[in-house]
Amino acid sequence: MRRISLIDIAGAIVLVAILALAPMFVSSNYLTGVLTVCAVYGIWASSWDFMSGLTGRENFGHSLFIGAGAYTAGFLATIWSTNPWLSLPTAVGVAIAFSLLVGFPTLRLRGPYFALAMLSASAILQRLCLIFWEYTGGEEGLYGLDPLIKSPLHYYWFVLAVLVVTVIVLTLLAQSHWGLLLRAIRGDEATCQAAGINVTFYKIASLMISAGFAGLGGALYAHYQLQVSPPLFSVVVSITVIIMVYVGGIGSIYGAAVAAILLTLLTEMLRGFGEYRLWIYTLTLMLILFFLPNGLIAPLWRRLTERLR
Amino acid sequence: MLQILIYGAVSSAIYAMLAVGFTLIFGVARILNLAHGSFYALGAYAAYVLTSLLKIPLFLAAPLAVLLVAGFGVVMERFLVRPLRQSQLAVLMITLAVSLAVEQALFLIFGSEYRNVPSFVAEKLSIGGVDISGQRLLALVAGVLVLLTLWLFIQRTRLGAAILAVSQDPEAAQYMGIPTNRIFSIVIAISAGTAALAGVLVSPFLTVQPTMGLLPMVKAFAIVIVGGLGSIPGSIIASLILGYSETIVAYLISTSWTELVSLVAVVITLMIRPSGILGRRAAF
Repeated sequence: MRRISLIDIAGAIVLVAILALAPMFVSSNYLTGVLTVCAVYGIWASSWDFMSGLTGRENFGHSLFIGAGAYTAGFLATIWSTNPWLSLPTAVGVAIAFSLLVGFPTLRLRGPYFALAMLSASAILQRLCLIFWEYTGGEEGLYGLDPLIKSPLHYYWFVLAVLVVTVIVLTLLAQSHWGLLLRAIRGDEATCQAAGINVTFYKIASLMISAGFAGLGGALYAHYQLQVSPPLFSVVVSITVIIMVYVGGIGSIYGAAVAAILLTLLTEMLRGFGEYRLWIYTLTLMLILFFLPNGLIAPLWRRLTERLR
Repeated sequence: MLQILIYGAVSSAIYAMLAVGFTLIFGVARILNLAHGSFYALGAYAAYVLTSLLKIPLFLAAPLAVLLVAGFGVVMERFLVRPLRQSQLAVLMITLAVSLAVEQALFLIFGSEYRNVPSFVAEKLSIGGVDISGQRLLALVAGVLVLLTLWLFIQRTRLGAAILAVSQDPEAAQYMGIPTNRIFSIVIAISAGTAALAGVLVSPFLTVQPTMGLLPMVKAFAIVIVGGLGSIPGSIIASLILGYSETIVAYLISTSWTELVSLVAVVITLMIRPSGILGRRAAF
């Protein structure tokens, strides 16, 4: 990965400024809400990219961590009715616990076990949510969470700030020695192992980081929607996140976040298509797989700024 | 007791039909087909359309449904999976995209309500005091027959030998004059066909709805991991283990807990013997 240059920082500042100021010009609660969701998806996509994009271990059940975080916030708010701010760190903790549960048996192994296990685990957890409806509220989910911040605009700024911090932290990690190791694992795991690198430790630790941010995003989403429901665990959520990362350019992190924001806005515009929305999404994915194997956002940004570096 | 024995056998047979196809396409073509569950759902819906809407008699509709889905599998492999085969991630993504597209298409065409398919055999049988519907018994018998035929086909025919050769070393097989790509088409057709047959057979006694493919596919993953990726006998043994454990759990505790069985089985397998019961020693 190339170093961050000034033009990257300038681009990021301009983008964040536009996002932060957008609700000031078009003051509507609707737009603020959509942008909040954009930022949440940005957190989810960049956290997926950190683990799976760098190590090449595709996580097909990111919704497991997202749902775990969201439901943690839901349980804390509705059953124990604690201080809502407590739900953010707790959600991170629970998501990390889940990542250990799935990651420990599967990430030691090479091959497709991790992808299969994550997909299965998230599907089964969604099912369990429906089966144990006495505790989880079944299809309806849990209602009546307290907002963290009363004003939607201030909450949006808060989520945007979390997104910015997430992207900065993950990018710095990806640029560090740690990130180099993760990419080396992607390249050739056996060689890394032969070089004395504890491959399993790095894979599990990066999954923990990824899960933590996903859980945080899940809790933020729960406190925006003020309810949680089983579709948060669904394969559709996972695949949406993966499509975003794919469009952004795998392994770039900032690309994932930007693609998440753009695609969420696009989905919102496609809302008129109703049930056909997922179709359009799936079709987009197929087209990208065939024609843009390297993604769109990150390669485009690199091309555009090549002269200015 | 006898009830557990019979019901366990029925669900084992259905799981085995799903898992064997899944493991076959992985073992031969190294394709991890996340669209496997949609073959099962498509089989059930094809049976529904052919019998309830087009009024085709069942015994004609069932093989027709299986053929249609097998054809769908071949087309998917040829035009969507094959161009992307160099990248494992791309294959996973495209097959997952297909499964979502199928689910969504079924949802748009048929809606989310449950559909009914008439039973093949209406009468109930009684074995040793246990009542069992003829349909479940038919699923069991058909499952055993299909697996036996498949085993004989792979072990005894020239084409079967070619499939085995490709699964051992695709490149060497190609050099020996085996048309690898055609073998892939045949294998995906078998794989899709068995999954569709499972869907057709269960359609009278399980609910037919767009998302019906996801959970059986998750079970098939679990079975294949427990049995060893790429091993057909392994996945049959694992199907028996999982089918019976689920039936016993449903009988002793409650049906709610059956979903956990496969998850626990996968975790235990990956911790103790990651290559599965009959998998090769190195976990790929």
